[in-house]
Amino acid sequence: MSMIAGGHGEANPNKTYLSAKGIWITYTLVVVSVHILLLAVPFLSISFAWSITNILHNLAQVYFLHTIKGHPWISTENSSDIRQTHWEQIDGGEQFTATRKFLTAFPIVLFLLTCLYTRNDIDHFIVNFVALVVVLLPKLPYFHGVRVFGINKY
Amino acid sequence: MSILLVGEIFSILLNTPTYVLVIEFILTASVLCMIFVRSGPRDNSGRKRKLTKEEEEEAIKNYTPEDLIEELGYELSSKTVTGRVGKHITIDGKKCLNVATHNYLGLLEDQTILEKAMVSLKKYGVGSCGPRGFYGTLDVHLDLEDKLAKFMGAEEAVVYSYGFSTMASAIPAYSKRNDVIFADEKVNFAIQKGLQASRSTVYFYKHNNMADLERLLLEKIPLHKKNPKHRRFLVAEGIYMNTGEMCPLPELVAIRKKYQLRLFLDEGISFGTIGKTGRGLTELLNVDPLEIDLICGSLEWAVPSVGGFCVGSHFIIEHQRLSGLGYCFSASLPPLLTQAAITALDTFEEHPEMFSELVEVSKKVHKELASLPKFKLSGDKLSPVKHLFLEDQQKTVEEKILILEQIVEKCLSNSLAIVDAKYLLDKEQANPEPSLRITVNRKLTDDDVKNCVNVLKNVSNSIC
Repeated sequence: MSMIAGGHGEANPNKTYLSAKGIWITYTLVVVSVHILLLAVPFLSISFAWSITNILHNLAQVYFLHTIKGHPWISTENSSDIRQTHWEQIDGGEQFTATRKFLTAFPIVLFLLTCLYTRNDIDHFIVNFVALVVVLLPKLPYFHGVRVFGINKY
Repeated sequence: MSILLVGEIFSILLNTPTYVLVIEFILTASVLCMIFVRSGPRDNSGRKRKLTKEEEEEAIKNYTPEDLIEELGYELSSKTVTGRVGKHITIDGKKCLNVATHNYLGLLEDQTILEKAMVSLKKYGVGSCGPRGFYGTLDVHLDLEDKLAKFMGAEEAVVYSYGFSTMASAIPAYSKRNDVIFADEKVNFAIQKGLQASRSTVYFYKHNNMADLERLLLEKIPLHKKNPKHRRFLVAEGIYMNTGEMCPLPELVAIRKKYQLRLFLDEGISFGTIGKTGRGLTELLNVDPLEIDLICGSLEWAVPSVGGFCVGSHFIIEHQRLSGLGYCFSASLPPLLTQAAITALDTFEEHPEMFSELVEVSKKVHKELASLPKFKLSGDKLSPVKHLFLEDQQKTVEEKILILEQIVEKCLSNSLAIVDAKYLLDKEQANPEPSLRITVNRKLTDDDVKNCVNVLKNVSNSIC
């Protein structure tokens, strides 16, 4: 998606804005800056700073990608976007696109780094792993549009 | 430095349980998979490439666009009407008695209404040149809304420029996606379009069958309880255009209260025809209009003008001024037609005896039509709209339509203008049974009624 004069003419920019130039770097920078802020807190150990970064990131993903539905723009088309989460709207529902791969790989890499920095401590591992599973499950193509146990159905 | 780092990682891994290592290994592998496994056409070195000419041709060949316009599948026959369409109508140069058009009170031939409209025409010109919210509001529009609100005993009224779009706009103005509508299966086409445009979940109950409605309510409401934001609507017509039957309003009002529904009533036919002073079904059945959330009416039938209106509380009406699409995005009613409607309302108030006269004629016509041997009569005896269904149950719908068309043609040659009710069969909700739709005019004399029934009897005997 490129920026053109007079707006992009996209009825639902949720579908495309994540594939814009510089989004991957921006995303990474935001997470890194949050992490640096946490590292700067005096009484937090490095292990805790990493775990908290990981959990905050995953909570943000669960909320913004997998919980809230619809989009903040008035729909000009009679589409079903209003019932879909942001993740389901990305690239119009197409699976395994670059954007989707990035958003899936990011929490995994973050988790692996967290494991390393917590020296694979079991308590940290369990908490971080649960947080990872929570963001990975709704990203699987099998769960596209599925509301397990009616969670978040309306 | 790097040796230290590798040693550090190694010591971490050495002190890790095996299942953690396995999980971490799987996750690393999945990330690598995502990076290296790619989709889409590739060239030999694995780079993304464009489609070749042949592949493009193939893709284009496999693409079939949808038709822009659907095939109609039938032809409309045309007839030329000249002069004013009153009690008599001139079709292709032949003067016929008119029981086909909706002119219940015969006000289309009223001289005062015509004169008042002419005065208005000289004052304002023909059109209003804009939608109501955009330079299209004139004093006559506000007058008409005031008058309608007062006449119907409601707080406020809103006037639409086209009768069809009144209900078709009013329903989707309130009922949205996730809402639930319960509607009679025989509601007219305008309401059906409104139900469709609302994108709500619609359940149809059997025509005028309150037991079926209650069954449906008990069955379907729990399904929507999970969504706390949903609203429930009940849609009915005062007198049904497609059957001529009257809705059991007191029962509907009781159900509205019991199940907490919002009741929308289309008084298109019943406004200006039944009730002691023409105020419609609420007056006839002694129901408090406040019990009905929204009443819609038409200015095209009893009132000899164009357009429609909704009456209700201030909040309900104000909402439509921005959310009623037919109100917002359509030029307002031409001032001369607005003036005609105002004058007609004045006539309603000056001559309330009109309504009892109409009811008398309706009853008379009902009695006479019921005696026709080849037909089954449908419709309330007070209703100015009546339907004649063919008695013969063996025939298919297509055969019945053909027979009715023949009857209509033969009646025309016998100086009786009559219509068979036309439906877009593939677009209707419950396919209505083919019928002749008879409309009553207040000006019909006993001789006219006798004559009409005689012609129908002779024609039907010769054809069926």
